[in-house]
Amino acid sequence: MDKESPQISSGDVLSTCSAACPVHTDTREYVQRLSRGDYEGALDVLLEVNPFPSVCGRICHHPCESECRRRAIDEAVSLRMLKRFVVENTKEYRIARRKKPADRKAGTVAVIGSGPSGLTAALDLTLRGYRVRVYEKDSKLGGMLAHAIPRYRLPVEALAEDIEDILASGIEVKTNCRVGTDISFDELRSENEAILIAAGLSESHSLSIPGAESNGVFPGITFLWDIANAMPPEMGDRVLVVGGGNVAIDIARAAKRLGPSKVYLACLETREEMPAWKWETEEAEQEGIEVLNSWGPKAILTENNKVSGIDLKRCTSVFDDQHRFNPRYDESVTTRVEVDNVILAVGQKADLEFLTKTSVAIERGRLLCDRASMSTSERGVFACGEVMTGPGSAIQAIATGHEAARVIAHFLETGEKLKLPQRTITTIGELPAATAARAKRVDRVEVSLADPAERIRDFSPIEPGYSEAEALAESRRCLACASGAQLKFPEHCAGCLTCVRVCPFGVAQVRGTAVMPAQQCQTCGLCAAECPAAAIELSRFDTNRMKDTLRDIVKRQGTSRIARPLVVSYCCLNETTSRKFLWEQTDEEIRQSGIVRVMVPCVGRLSALDLITPFELGADKVAVIACAEKDCFYSGSEELLSRRVTRAKKFLDQIGVGQDNVQLFRTDGNAEECWPLIWEELK
Amino acid sequence: MIVADPKPFGQVKGYLENFERILIVGCGACTTVCLAGGEAEVRLLASGMRIAFGRDGQSKTILEDCVQRQCDVEFVLPVLSRVDNEKIDAVVTIACGVGVNFLADRLGKTPVFPGLNTTFYGAGMEPGLWAEMCAGCGECMTALTGGICPVARCSKHLLNGPCGGSEKGKCEVDPANIDCVWQLIYDRLKRLGRLDDLQNIIAPKDWRTAADGGVRRTIREHLYKLR
Ligand SMILES: Cc1cc2nc3c(=O)[nH]c(=O)nc-3n(C[C@H](O)[C@H](O)[C@H](O)COP(=O)(O)OP(=O)(O)OC[C@H]3O[C@@H](n4cnc5c(N)ncnc54)[C@H](O)[C@@H]3O)c2cc1C
Ligand code: SF4
Ligand code: SF4
Ligand code: SF4
Ligand code: SF4
Repeated sequence: MDKESPQISSGDVLSTCSAACPVHTDTREYVQRLSRGDYEGALDVLLEVNPFPSVCGRICHHPCESECRRRAIDEAVSLRMLKRFVVENTKEYRIARRKKPADRKAGTVAVIGSGPSGLTAALDLTLRGYRVRVYEKDSKLGGMLAHAIPRYRLPVEALAEDIEDILASGIEVKTNCRVGTDISFDELRSENEAILIAAGLSESHSLSIPGAESNGVFPGITFLWDIANAMPPEMGDRVLVVGGGNVAIDIARAAKRLGPSKVYLACLETREEMPAWKWETEEAEQEGIEVLNSWGPKAILTENNKVSGIDLKRCTSVFDDQHRFNPRYDESVTTRVEVDNVILAVGQKADLEFLTKTSVAIERGRLLCDRASMSTSERGVFACGEVMTGPGSAIQAIATGHEAARVIAHFLETGEKLKLPQRTITTIGELPAATAARAKRVDRVEVSLADPAERIRDFSPIEPGYSEAEALAESRRCLACASGAQLKFPEHCAGCLTCVRVCPFGVAQVRGTAVMPAQQCQTCGLCAAECPAAAIELSRFDTNRMKDTLRDIVKRQGTSRIARPLVVSYCCLNETTSRKFLWEQTDEEIRQSGIVRVMVPCVGRLSALDLITPFELGADKVAVIACAEKDCFYSGSEELLSRRVTRAKKFLDQIGVGQDNVQLFRTDGNAEECWPLIWEELK
Repeated sequence: MIVADPKPFGQVKGYLENFERILIVGCGACTTVCLAGGEAEVRLLASGMRIAFGRDGQSKTILEDCVQRQCDVEFVLPVLSRVDNEKIDAVVTIACGVGVNFLADRLGKTPVFPGLNTTFYGAGMEPGLWAEMCAGCGECMTALTGGICPVARCSKHLLNGPCGGSEKGKCEVDPANIDCVWQLIYDRLKRLGRLDDLQNIIAPKDWRTAADGGVRRTIREHLYKLR
């Protein structure tokens, strides 16, 4: 797999969500597939670039959401939750779609470390046909995902789903095998054409303050590691965590679940400066964790060789003028907190002991590597993940795994180093305020976390997933950015201004011919439906394809075998709360019911022709089922649609079909209950 | 531009009863803009014909086309060859009357029928509304009337109005929808400070430029009969 997402070719204009994702997940596409009920298709999109969708559905820090263009209107689309919904509802399909590499190639690769970066690279290389063996010092695969991220956020099963899927490709794994002790690095080198160091940052930094080595002081990563491996350390009743990042929050919240009555978190930063995500800090506070801002550790106090407290000093600033980490203190302002344990979450470092007697260069405790070629000082030895980049996120680590695989494959094929090209990504840009102001606001579907008092009892997952109805509703908030109207046949455009006049968002303009700037277009399709030159097309909804389907169905069945009257029912798919009507109909279903469903993302896109064509194809009636009153995403769409139906009625009268054979309905309540009643009425 | 309205469907269908392979041709210019004869209307009319003839138990072949402008040879040539190659035995055009004539002149033995009634030279007043503005009289009078044409826009084509039917600015012919153009001319000249112009009686118009002398032609010497 390439550095560039296979879903993206150079020259593409990305929606901002995809651009922000380190692996450039085609966010829009999977969300649109989900909204059409194609959960399997959505999973395909996810897996194409991300072998860890179950993990990411739980714990991804979702840079996609941070850049979602919907923020200009109200709030980001809840993409992480949608991803989670997709993986949770496609488990069997995921197993069925697994594939093994087509052909084997010469070349073996050893991967050191089974974190997300190492496994991603291993999977890519295996699928390319290379023999890959992963060495993991621990008993479990997954790196920090398996050992550090607490279970209340990332349940074991979610990680297991991803890992089983990855291993199904035929990767070989050696667990409980620490490179450096169980097998030497040089031995690996002699056995393999290439080596990938994906060892992560498995050690916590310590503090050089008095008492830091005392009994009762725990390094953060070890602390989490022990909990994950069901060996929680002995703790007193009061605990203080030093650190202000996400890891510190995880540690504090994990500690709280072990039963102490008081958990503090002390950090140098002010509340605003804290590197931890705001929502993580808030959730921690709900769980009773007390955050002490702007305090630095001065000394850890002991009594009888056990921790008895910690002295903190006022931190006056964390960063210098150049925004470098360079804390300053006011030593005269101090405070003492009486605690039984101190846990340090002040950063992580790599354990590179296995390289000390080798020729792989290490500089000031860090692996010397070239980011552009993913290589170390030694030919054939590559690196990826946090050991190379420093602390980051799982999805960033995954992205570097793809890059490493690409570079290694190139090396195995040519013996050459590959410098990954710097690619500039063109995005569609922010949604202009003027357009956003005209768009309908729709509340983001939020789930409520378990009650804090419940949460802290154990490590059970605290966040419920979306129900189907919730996921479908949330998926429809996506604006399907950069997939809007296009002047497909500029030579047909007469510059008639109709598109300009009907566009509810003031997007379409005529400059010579029509232009619909992708940055603004909301993909409502009204212009396309009204264009007298049929010059506009929507990438999101292609009426031709829909007609083909219709033609096909009628042709296959032969109208005489279908229950009459044969009704073509155009339905607004935005009103469905399940897949019941989103599934493709079987021939049998159509034959017995006499109903041909055509699901449309907003029936306002149907042209007058769309309302007439079914009669040509053998239908007896046409039903247009719109959303509930005032539910439409697109202002003006309802009015235009009802006028179009009136026009179609007149035309049907003229051609001898009778105006009553086309009817406009509104969904009342949910589709699953309402639509069958409408169909009943028509029959 | 030229404005036209669809003919009643039944009338057009009536023209076609005795033909089998029928081509409906739209025009990408004026009749697209007035929403009567563009690509979308071609498709709709064609679909309607298939349905209607189908209901009569007749299965005719209805083909569709739309050209950029039906009033220029280069644009209609492909239609002419289609008619030959695809053995089309009748053509319906939903261009204005110019398109009907232009095709008829060139179509040899294949009949051509109008799908529209061409109505006037007009302007789009607001979305969905067009109004007559010019009559093509060949000798523009509007310099005398503040730019507003009494020939086209007065129901009685009066050159020295208004008549007695002008009431509260409206024309007696249809007070709800028609402004009295002479009221408009009066108001306009007043704004221009030229009310005195109305003292001058406009002399009887020389109508030869409008109709007399047979079919009107225009020649541009700098391009005409170029070899
Ligand atoms: C507490 C905590 C919470 C986090 N929360 C999130 C989050 O919510 N969202 C998010 O996106 N990211 C989160 N992260 C970050 C994420 O876990 C990391 O970015 C990611 O795991 C890094 O992947 P990696 O492959 O580089 O290394 P790692 O995951 O660290 O894996 C390295 C592996 O190499 C193995 N190894 C090391 N040395 C050897 C050796 N000599 N021989 C054999 N094996 C060896 C280790 O045992 C380990 O399994 C969190 C990290 C921590 C610590
Ligand atoms: S609205 Fe949809 S496509 Fe647009 S940025 Fe947000 S998630 Fe991406
Ligand atoms: S509606 Fe169609 S023909 Fe008219 S300006 Fe827009 S694109 Fe051109
Ligand atoms: S699709 Fe809708 S928003 Fe986009 S240009 Fe057309 S009418 Fe405007
Ligand atoms: S009322 Fe005015 S517009 Fe009507 S006929 Fe008389 S002068 Fe002409």
